[in-house]
Amino acid sequence: MNTASGTILVVEDEAQIRKFLRISLEAHGYVIYEARLGKDGLKLCESTQPQLVILDLGLPDMDGQQFIARLREWSQVPIIVLSVRSSEAQKVQALDAGANDYVTKPFGISELMARIRVVLRGAEEAASAPTVFDARGLRVDMALREVRVDGTPVHLSKKEYALLRLLIDSRGRVLTHQHILREVWGPARQDETHYLRVLVGQLRQKLGDDPASPRFIVTVQGVGYRLAVPAR
Amino acid sequence: MVFVTVCLAFLLHRLMPHASLSLLFLTGVLIVSARTGLGPSLVASVLSFLAYNFFFTPPYYTLEIANDGDVATLLFFLLMAAITGNLAARMHAEIDMRRTSLQRISNLYEFSRRMSSAAGTEAVLEALADHLAWSTGRTVAVLVAAPGSLPAVRARAGRAASLHPADIEDAWSRDEPGPAVIHAWHFLKLAAHNEPVGMVAIQGQVDAEHIDLARSLCDQATVALDRTRLVADLEQARLVSETEQLRSALLSSVSHDLRTPLASIIGSTTSLLEYGDSFSTENRRDLLATVVAEAQRLDRHIQNLLDMTRLGQGKMTLRRDWVDLHDIVSSAVDRLRDALKGLPVIIDIADTVPLLWVHGVLIEQALVNLLDNAICFSPPDGRITITARAAAGRIEIDLCDDGPGIPENEREKIFDMFYTVRQGDRGSLQGTGLGLAICRGMVAAHGGNVTARDGRNGRGTCMRIVLPVTRPDGMDGE
Repeated sequence: MNTASGTILVVEDEAQIRKFLRISLEAHGYVIYEARLGKDGLKLCESTQPQLVILDLGLPDMDGQQFIARLREWSQVPIIVLSVRSSEAQKVQALDAGANDYVTKPFGISELMARIRVVLRGAEEAASAPTVFDARGLRVDMALREVRVDGTPVHLSKKEYALLRLLIDSRGRVLTHQHILREVWGPARQDETHYLRVLVGQLRQKLGDDPASPRFIVTVQGVGYRLAVPAR
Repeated sequence: MVFVTVCLAFLLHRLMPHASLSLLFLTGVLIVSARTGLGPSLVASVLSFLAYNFFFTPPYYTLEIANDGDVATLLFFLLMAAITGNLAARMHAEIDMRRTSLQRISNLYEFSRRMSSAAGTEAVLEALADHLAWSTGRTVAVLVAAPGSLPAVRARAGRAASLHPADIEDAWSRDEPGPAVIHAWHFLKLAAHNEPVGMVAIQGQVDAEHIDLARSLCDQATVALDRTRLVADLEQARLVSETEQLRSALLSSVSHDLRTPLASIIGSTTSLLEYGDSFSTENRRDLLATVVAEAQRLDRHIQNLLDMTRLGQGKMTLRRDWVDLHDIVSSAVDRLRDALKGLPVIIDIADTVPLLWVHGVLIEQALVNLLDNAICFSPPDGRITITARAAAGRIEIDLCDDGPGIPENEREKIFDMFYTVRQGDRGSLQGTGLGLAICRGMVAAHGGNVTARDGRNGRGTCMRIVLPVTRPDGMDGE
């Protein structure tokens, strides 16, 4: 069993779910704080400064979206959302409000563990802001604006590079369509999803990425895209 | 009138000059003409002249005319009578006309008032038949055609009379602007949006004025028919959207209630499978216990959903039997022993409560749902009491808790399906939003009802089940 370290706050009203999360996460060496209500969660967040928040969207005292908005007012701590709601709109809303990723209930523990590792690592790396990104054969030197796949240089257009940079800078997060459109094209184009589809297609082609089993850019159906980062 | 004038003249002829008496007689003639018509006024004038001549002109008490002046008087009398009589007759005719037109207007007004307040198609058709019959004085039938078929009589007024289907078919097939006249019936078409929707049939001779009147009544009626149809369409649309809402609420509730226990079960089992080796024995047991408890919860939800479906389809068949209320209550409490977590339940069933002739499992489920709610809302130091007593022809079962209570205006709403679910992801506490609806449905299937009331001493909530004391059918008569 590999061990990690870090503090995780679980905000969830179902005692049974809190229980198995605590047992599993503690077995992995994480320190767990638990809250049943949103307001307790916010308080705990302030006093314990966790490295990750696992949040159930359906809380008894406040809406999960509200919780994210309140937390984001003063903290950039990564948030993984748990939700039984399978509607895309809910996920997009949570991600746009500032959540990093989501897991749909019911989920297997290993799925959650993988997400936790990716989010924690992404946050760590984004915080240290390296000038060179190197993973799975994709090497991006941000200072030189140079992209290589398996050692071969790839020439990217301005927009393609902007999209790749955005995904790299936000590794460990799911980026919603609207978010990407806003960042790459500006707010006026944020509903023109077809621009994005075309651009992602071009970028994948140039990187030699297969959409069916993506190596670099993962489609999150109906929600957005994320960079495939190997979990440690 | 002439007699009165003569009497007056006798009284006055000593006081006034002889010639002025003729003025008195003239006044009499005027009054008569104004009151009546041409004929009576002429008669009055001749009589007045004769009386005047007989009594007041020399030679007295003869009808002899002494001088030419009297002839002139007679002529004046006749002329005056003719003019005023004519005037009066015209005035009377005018008044009569006004009166009938006023009546027709108020009749029309009354009709349009009925039209605009008519709640449904039937009311419109009946009002149309009534008013047509009243204003034409004939027997009237109103026929309405369903799309693609012949019109059928939907309302009638006046004497009973039969319409031949062949006549109806004939009239319906004719395409002429005026009324179709077939076998002493006048047929007028009712059209909405230029499409004929029905007919009005009037029996016997009808003059042109009445046809016009009938047509204007028909026009008003079609407007009203359009309106009622719109109202019906709107109502239908509202029903459809409500059903739609209910369905989506059901779906989201099902998805939520089934997935939440599943999430715990899958999470716990995958944790055990993948990392179980590193867990302590205690944690492993704990997770397994979670799996069992959650699986049972899932089972309850599924049972609730099945019950709800059966209640909704009205297919709940009661298998009544003699049951002791003590057994039902204790078994309900027993089923929730784990959920109670030591919360005291005080049971007090009066000795006067008879055996119940009910479907025991359903009443137990109703109690379980109420108890489940009471547990959810109870504070840790609270207690739950279940009391039962017999009252006139019925049994009252009260289940009271020390929870926060239910505001007066929500006491009915809580029995709506999904009421708690509508308040957020899962309401403030566990619950499907189906429990109380099911409880009410099951009790209602027994002819009883469930209500929420004030708790004991103004604290908490009391849910009251009222069941009628019933006997098996066979035992009443034999």
